[in-house]
Order: sequence, then structure tokens, then C-alpha cells
Amino acid sequence: MGDLGINLPGLITQIISFVILFVILSKVLYKPLVAMLDQRAEKITAGLEAAEKAKEEAARSEEAIQEQLQEARSEGQKLVTQARETADRFREEEMAKIKEELDAERSRAESNIQRERDAAIEELRKEFAGLAITAAEKVVKTSLDEEGHRALIEGVLNEEGSRNN
Amino acid sequence: MSKILGNPRSLAILIICVAVLAISIFGGALGNTLGFGFFASSLPAIQLPAEKIADGFNTPVGKWDLMNTMVTTWLAMLVLIVVSLIIRRNLKDVPGRLQALFEVIMEFFLSLCEQIAGKEKARRFFPLVFTIFIFIVAANWMGILPGFGTVGRIAGPEEIAHHHDAHDYHDPALVTTTHESKESKAEPHGSDEAQGDGHDSHLDTVKLHVFRDYKAIPVAALLLGSLEEELTFSQYKEKDGNVGEGKRAGHLVPFLRSANTDLNMSLAIALIAMVMVHFWGFSILGFFGHAGKFINFKSGPIGFFVGILELISELGRIISFTFRLFGNIFAGEVLLMAMAFLLPLIGIIPFLGLELFVGLIQAFVFAMLTLVFASMASISHDDGDNH
Repeated sequence: MGDLGINLPGLITQIISFVILFVILSKVLYKPLVAMLDQRAEKITAGLEAAEKAKEEAARSEEAIQEQLQEARSEGQKLVTQARETADRFREEEMAKIKEELDAERSRAESNIQRERDAAIEELRKEFAGLAITAAEKVVKTSLDEEGHRALIEGVLNEEGSRNN
Repeated sequence: MSKILGNPRSLAILIICVAVLAISIFGGALGNTLGFGFFASSLPAIQLPAEKIADGFNTPVGKWDLMNTMVTTWLAMLVLIVVSLIIRRNLKDVPGRLQALFEVIMEFFLSLCEQIAGKEKARRFFPLVFTIFIFIVAANWMGILPGFGTVGRIAGPEEIAHHHDAHDYHDPALVTTTHESKESKAEPHGSDEAQGDGHDSHLDTVKLHVFRDYKAIPVAALLLGSLEEELTFSQYKEKDGNVGEGKRAGHLVPFLRSANTDLNMSLAIALIAMVMVHFWGFSILGFFGHAGKFINFKSGPIGFFVGILELISELGRIISFTFRLFGNIFAGEVLLMAMAFLLPLIGIIPFLGLELFVGLIQAFVFAMLTLVFASMASISHDDGDNH
């Protein structure tokens, strides 16, 4: 043992040295550092959990928002369709009304025209009868050749035309 | 090649490299045999036991002397304690670099402990395993710093002779010269170590080195060229101890020597590790649970014999622990010395890297084996057999 350099005082010195180092390092280094590592691990776990929770929350709220959006969209759709329907109905009603009015107006105008034409025809007829009578009077009064008739009628008509003018 | 030779800078680097190589080859041991050897470093004295730096005191268990490995042990301890105090002071949730480094190493070992020993035992084993690792790494890496093993005092021929159990040897130089008589008073220890068998001298194989003597400083260093020649004891006697003006014969006793090149240190760690392993075995399994592994009457004579074998293997573990660490680190030290001797300047550069690696690996092996033994000791054999 002596040749190998092993001796009891040296061995005891080294054992004591190592034990001192062990105790000091345990107190100074391991305890606080391991505690810190544990604490940090805990903190990280808590943080991850919180993040997970927040993510879930976000997903849930996102879903809710989506739902609301969907609802709003369909609501809007419904409103638009309703409005369009109302508008269509309103337009049709108006159109029908206008058509009716127009029809009434037209029939009134037509009946007016008819009446006026009838009156004109009546007048014309009256006048024409008068003219015919006048012409007949003239024919009877003058010769009865055909040329003379024509000239006569022409002359009457011209006379009448200029008078009418 | 022509590109390298064309560039003046790389050419200069090449020339310097070749010159350094040539100097280291011819200036070293090889050149010495060829007659150059301008560095003339001879291989320093290599000895297994740690060297004594100062005399100590008598204790009931023997004489306590201050050894160079003790100083290194305390230096390594000091470094570790200072570093941990610094970390402690600046402990932050967001770690600085030093704290982060230690956290990474500690996390590594914590998770290793948890993998091997299980979660609840890991916290118990971790401090010792980690202390073993970090202390051995610190001590090993310190041991390859410059100045370790190369700076020290010079032990004279008389001290060397006493060390080799030749207690009746007297230095002829001390008889003829007067200026070195101080040294003889300073080292009157010879008779204290008188325990050897017979005084037959092993001095024939021991060689003395001749150092330049710097009287102003009582410190010698293995610098380039500080070792001039080697003398055997008979040659020294022929010269009557007169090795030349301003020179001294003797061995360098380094002040610092890698802590684990002392068997006391590695044995101390091994003992602590194994004692703690069995302490955990007893405290986890109960006294009979753990002792029953070794002294086993339950399963017949074969079981009893196996138990005895287990007991022997526990002793074997202490020895293998001790000598594995010691052998690796001591061999590394010798390797570095030999390379510095064979190829001064450049020889040790690759081996420094190797020693860093070996120092780390040995520390890791020691710590891991402690952990494995601890987790084995804390598992009852009855459980283990049923699997």
C-alpha cells in the first residue's frame, strides 16, 4: 500500500475534502438550482396549460362568432328576400293600378272619340243632305246633260269647299 | 502546392511549421541521442505516490504530510465552490450563461438519474452522482493546465535516497560544500519513514537530474533546457556531488499534481460512493432486505455461496473504481510527460485534447457506475429474480 501511495492520513484528508465539497455544493448549488428547475418546469407546465385553455377559448368564441355571423347572414338574406317580395308585390300592384287607369283613360278617350266622330258624321250627314238638296235644286233648275251635271256638282262642291274654308 | 508556395504568407507559415517540427525533433530526446538535443529535457522522475510538499504533523494513524495532490484537490474544490457561489448569487429565472451551462449539465444528470433509478430515487442519488462527476472533471481538467507537474521544488539526492528506503545514504555534496547545508536541516524526515524491509538500495535504477539552480527563487520549473543531464547515483558519487557551478542534482517535486493521480483521492471517492450505495440499499430495502442479498440462508447452499460472491464483487467494485480512475489519469499524465520529452513544443498538443476527453469520460463513467450501483442496490433481489 505504501508503494502505491495509499496512506491513511492522506485517504482521510481526501475523504473529508470530498464530503465537505459534497455538503457545500448540495447546499449552495443543487438545492436552489434544482428548486429553480422544478419551479420553472411547473411554471412552464402552467403556462402551457393556460395557453391550451386560451386556445380552446379562442376556438370556442370563434365558433360562436361564426354561428352569429351565419345567423346574421341568413337573417339578412331573409330580409332581402322579404324586401324583394314586397317590392315585387308593390310593383305589380302599382303596375296593375296604372294599367287599370290607363285602360280607363283609353276607354274614356275612345268613347270620346267615338262620340265626336258620331257627332261629326251626324253633322256631315246633315250638311251633306243640305248640299244634296241644294244640288238637286240646281240640277232641276238647269240642263240635264252629264257634263253639265258634273260641272254643276263640281261647282257646288267648290263653292261649298271655299265656304267651308 | 504551387499556390501555397506562391503566397508569401502561407509560405511563411509553412516554413515556421517545418522549423518548429525540426526544432522539436532535433531538440528533443531524439536529437539528444544524435548529439543535438539543445532542449535536453530528460524524462522527469515518475512515481506512483503523490509527492510531499511540506512536512506535516503526527496523527494517531500515521504522519500527515501536505501532498501536492491535496493542494490540487483543494484548488478544484475552491473553483467549484466559487463558481457555485457566483451562480447562487445571480440565480435568475431567465438564466445567464454560467447558470444555463450548469442547468444543462444538471438537467442531463437529473434525467439520467430518473431514467436509471426511477423518479423518486433520482432526487436522492443525484447530489452524490453530480458531485462525483463535477469534481472529477474539474480535477482532471485542472491537471492538464500548464504548471501542473512542471513547477516545484528540487528534492536533493538524500531525500530521494530516503524515499527509496536507503536511509543510510548521505549526499556527498553536503559533506563537501557548506552552502547547501540549510536544505539538509529542512528535510530531516528520513527516520520517520523507516518501515521498509531491509535497507537494500534500489538506487541503481534511480537517476538524478541536474537542474540549473536559481538561488533567488526556491522554485524549479521543467522549462525547455532546464534539465541538463541525467546521472546515476554512482556517477554522482564519483563527482563527489559536484555537478557544476550553479547547478543542482535531484528530482523535481511538483507543487501541483492532478488530484486523481493519487490513489488516495480515487480510493476516497470510491469508498464514499460505495458506502453511500449501501447506505441507500439499507435505507430503501431495510436492513434485512439489503443484507439478505449478501448473507443468504433462504435459498440453500448455492444461494449462500452466491451471496458471498456478491460480497466479494462489492469489494471488487471499490478496487475497480479506484484503479480505473487513477490508471487513466495517471497514464495520461505520463503520456503528456513522455510526449513533451520526445517532441518538445508540439508533441503534447494532440494529447492535450485526448486528455480533456479522457478526463471527461472517466468522470462520467465514475458517476454513471455510482448511479447504476445505487439503483441496483436499491432493488430487492427477490423482486429481481421474479422477472
